[in-house]
Amino acid sequence: MYSGPVIDGDVHHARNNDAELIEYLSRGWREYVTGRGRAGMVPLTVQDGMPNPHGFMRANTYPEGGGEPGSDYPTLRAQLLDASDLRRAILTFGDDSHLAGHHNPYFANELARACNDWSIERWLTRDPRLASSIMVASQMPEVAAAEVRRHATNPRMVQVMLVDNPLGYGFGHPVFHPIYAAAEETGRPVAIHGGAGGWANPPSTGGGSVNTYFEAHTLWPQAIQTHLVSFIAHGVFEKYPRLRLVLIEGGSAWIPSLLWRFDTEYKGLRREVPWVKRLPSEYFAEHVWVSSQPLEISPKRDQVIELIRSMHLEDKLIYASDYPHWDADEIDYLSTRLPAEWHSRVFFDNACRLYGWKPEELKKRVPVEERVT
Amino acid sequence: MSIDVGPVADFEERRFRIVNAGGHELGVLRWQDRFFAVHNRCPHQKGPLCLGIVSGRLVGRAPGSMEVDDDVPVIACPWHGWEFDLERGRALWEEGYAAKVVPVRVERGRVLVDVGRSARDPAV
Repeated sequence: MYSGPVIDGDVHHARNNDAELIEYLSRGWREYVTGRGRAGMVPLTVQDGMPNPHGFMRANTYPEGGGEPGSDYPTLRAQLLDASDLRRAILTFGDDSHLAGHHNPYFANELARACNDWSIERWLTRDPRLASSIMVASQMPEVAAAEVRRHATNPRMVQVMLVDNPLGYGFGHPVFHPIYAAAEETGRPVAIHGGAGGWANPPSTGGGSVNTYFEAHTLWPQAIQTHLVSFIAHGVFEKYPRLRLVLIEGGSAWIPSLLWRFDTEYKGLRREVPWVKRLPSEYFAEHVWVSSQPLEISPKRDQVIELIRSMHLEDKLIYASDYPHWDADEIDYLSTRLPAEWHSRVFFDNACRLYGWKPEELKKRVPVEERVT
Repeated sequence: MSIDVGPVADFEERRFRIVNAGGHELGVLRWQDRFFAVHNRCPHQKGPLCLGIVSGRLVGRAPGSMEVDDDVPVIACPWHGWEFDLERGRALWEEGYAAKVVPVRVERGRVLVDVGRSARDPAV
């Protein structure tokens, strides 16, 4: 069992109610949202989606005093931050992470700005172990890039997060490039989180929409695969050679299969994309990291390990719990599934390399009462 | 062993001509008045390499740009499109993977191939 320092790459912090976020909207947008009289508020979150029959949250993560899982710092601290030797937790938002699924791009811009300010003020100020993703409304990539640059001097806003796809093209398409220019310029990795299609616009699955959460969740990696292939085929890593990409909540066992196929296709189809100068797997090895969750469960433990090893992913995997979601992976569980010689890399070292943290600094114990602002 | 595969005039610019040279099936290409010869057999799945598309190497200096480098003739196998430069036979994605090219030269208006030696031999 692993008992060393841990970095958690996917922790969903949530707001407890709409009022929390409305406070961060500008006066005009606040009026837009709340001024509908008896019609009630304009919904802040995207309304598409499929119900999980269990609910999306672990039942024991609902705070005792009421409220939503992930919304209460003391509960999150007790259940996650203090429950192991956690040195950093990267916050990835709850339902608000789907804001790029809003049809109204101007509203989405405002929500992204408000979400990031809410994350800084309501969360980062409370615990030095917390770091936050920068949510962007990719409907308007130039505005999204400006939002990334707004946080350039805040080292605790550690990555740019993309989830829903508002424009229908893979995320490598040039229309999204202003976001990557800003990410590279500010030294932030781009994170693509599972569900990275949008529930309905466009579907998160290739071939057509599915009808149950069972299907959708099984096919979660498909959208991530689309975006990964798109990044490489459009030459994003040639154009932005210092850009790094992290794939969150898509699993990892599919990566060898996809890259083997992708490399083979490159040999025959290079003519179409001569700006792609190297084998796709070489770009992947240099630029892409992968969150551990959910680790695929192979019938024999070694089968999935062999797949991971075949792409040297033990040096790219980053532990992610997905707390407080229903399908979160525990540290104890994961450490029994992975070879012991990988533990320090997957639970700590790889994330340090990706996010530029010095391991020796993170290993120093900082009393949480020493609040970082 | 040098083998005469015909007069220069028999070779059309930018078009492979398949010849039998000492029992070897070769493709011989005239390209901007230079000559290239390669075994007509793709190292991938043994496809008839020289029946594929010949072009200058396509180059993309930035995403979306498409230019032709006519200094580097390339053959794309008709079976799977794998591309090889004709000067040294190297696959465009990996120098260590190659089609088998052979030395070729012109003497007194005749095209000669040397099937006993590899064009990648540094001595050539």
